Amino acid sequence: MLRLFATIKKDLIILLRDRGGLAIMFLMPMAMIMIMALIQDAPFKDYQELKIPLLLVNNDTGSLGRQIEKGLLESKIVEITKSTISDVEVKQKVKAGDYEIGIIIPPQATQSLHNNVNQFVSKKLAVAGLGDSTKKTDTVTTPLDLQILFAPGTKKSFKATILSSLKQSSSKLETQTLLDFFSKRLATEKSDSTQVLKEFINFSEVNTVETPAEALLLNSVQHNVPAWTIFGMFFIVISMAGSIIKERDDGSYTRIRTMPGSFITVLIGKVSAYLLVCLTQCLLMLLVGIYVLPHLGLPTLQIGKSFGGIVFTAFCTGVAATSYGVMIGTIFRTHQQSSTFGAVSVVILAALGGIWVPVYVMPEMIQTLAEFSPLYWSLSAFHKIFLNGGSINTVVLYNLKLIGFAAVMLGISYFYNKVKR
Amino acid sequence: MTVHKAIEVKNLVKIYNGSQQPAVNTISFDIPQAKIVGLLGPNGAGKTSTISMLCGLIQPSSGEATILGMSIHTHLQEIKKFIGVVPQEIALYPTLTAFENLHYIGNMYGLKGESLRKKINEHLEIVGLADVAKKRIETFSGGMKRRINLVAGILHDPQIVFLDEPTVGVDVQSRNLITEHLHLLNHKGTTIIYTSHLMEEAENLCNEILIIDKGEIISQGEPKKLIEKNQTKNLEELFLKLTGKKLRD
Repeated sequence: MLRLFATIKKDLIILLRDRGGLAIMFLMPMAMIMIMALIQDAPFKDYQELKIPLLLVNNDTGSLGRQIEKGLLESKIVEITKSTISDVEVKQKVKAGDYEIGIIIPPQATQSLHNNVNQFVSKKLAVAGLGDSTKKTDTVTTPLDLQILFAPGTKKSFKATILSSLKQSSSKLETQTLLDFFSKRLATEKSDSTQVLKEFINFSEVNTVETPAEALLLNSVQHNVPAWTIFGMFFIVISMAGSIIKERDDGSYTRIRTMPGSFITVLIGKVSAYLLVCLTQCLLMLLVGIYVLPHLGLPTLQIGKSFGGIVFTAFCTGVAATSYGVMIGTIFRTHQQSSTFGAVSVVILAALGGIWVPVYVMPEMIQTLAEFSPLYWSLSAFHKIFLNGGSINTVVLYNLKLIGFAAVMLGISYFYNKVKR
Repeated sequence: MTVHKAIEVKNLVKIYNGSQQPAVNTISFDIPQAKIVGLLGPNGAGKTSTISMLCGLIQPSSGEATILGMSIHTHLQEIKKFIGVVPQEIALYPTLTAFENLHYIGNMYGLKGESLRKKINEHLEIVGLADVAKKRIETFSGGMKRRINLVAGILHDPQIVFLDEPTVGVDVQSRNLITEHLHLLNHKGTTIIYTSHLMEEAENLCNEILIIDKGEIISQGEPKKLIEKNQTKNLEELFLKLTGKKLRD
């Protein structure tokens, strides 16, 4: 134990005196968390919270205009600005990007709808022998023309959502009008001609979350804080591999190997020292998410209720990161080689693992590859705890994968050393 | 009670992976206890490979060696308690102080507490570095680093010390202090195995010389006797006579 604690103490002192290394280990992920959370705040809101600015010119005084406006409001994805400007001006404002969407409802739109429906009903009743056959029913109906203008570059998903909302509103009104006209034409004195169309299919939103913590959205903070914390923890491979190579180059490694006792104890001591740094990094980054980011106008990081789950995941992530550092330090001969490979490989694993952008927005093939990134396992575990109210049990599988990864890395280092010797 | 020799080597061979020429080719020699033995040879002669096998850093391809009667094949961990190694490199942590470096190394040998602190201070006093014990190694001169490097290898009072060019690149004063310290250790009964390219230093310091070339021992004995036997003026002339003047690297 003396050898173990002596090694931990030695490596911690060396780390604390390496100001450049400390900056990389602590300031870099802290800066990344703040910058990326701010940058990605808007795109995350695009998906979940942002309201699309919509310019509505309602020239209709009837129920169709009101129904469309009501439908858009109920969709909750648009922020409606009503205006009475001309069609040309609407086009200019949308094109200039003042509004994402413009909708122009023509004058007499309701009347036009009624006329079309009336003609349709008359025609159908005449065919059925119920209408007044002396009336002319072969008039051609002209579809009502609603103009929808989209700003250049409007996302396809936004367009689809708006069109769907408009079709739903107009369709409901069309059907109601149709029913009213049929009722009126077939009406007897006792019948009620003012029935309101019932919805025969009702879509009810079922809430799958049971606790307030589970109702959290994956916003910029909830994504970026754990993501860049994990990235920072894995970036320790550069410092760690550098330390191993330096000790090998300056003869310290040789001296240690001439000392009694197992070299594995020394290795565990080194891993433990760096693991402590990883855990400290994790703690500080989470505190940044809770106490610093809100001052930048960002949401406060919600960390769920499983403190044990967080510690467990941070520990397993640290073990995986430090073991990866041991492997790189063992295999590569120079600090330049190890730092280049270490940095590039961590960036690639981070990109695949959903650190830069969430995995669910990536192509399917990349999503499959993400399953092999230790950073993805770690991030998924943190998301389970932070967003889904997960506990230690929920994240066991992810953490076992991280420990398995660490075992493979240490195994490679051990056998490489053995063969080399 | 059997008094073992410090080192006994029999037919020791080392062939590195991918090489056809042995780095050490079937060498045999004995070193009694409490001797200062100089292992001399041109670059690539096999000195470091021999010492590395005796310290357990690399495994021999064949042959046997015992340290204080214990086989390097079966009792390596036990042997490590009785040997000290002073590598050619300054094998210290530059950002740690002299005291912190020695404290860590002492801990690695199982030394701790007040006895370790006392031992460190004694050694620092001897090598003239007590005043700078709390200064970082990175601020030291080459000679100061060499002296600390020496202390790091002998702090645990080993019975046998292996030194790989311990005085390379240091000024005369530091070299003098190091060799004096080695003499002092030897007087206390420590066996010292020493490699160097400084023939005058080896001639003055060593009781016995082993000259190795191309992985084989080409001469062994007391420096004065070897010089007389080969009718040369000094050890350097003897060395050149035996190994030739052709450059080796």
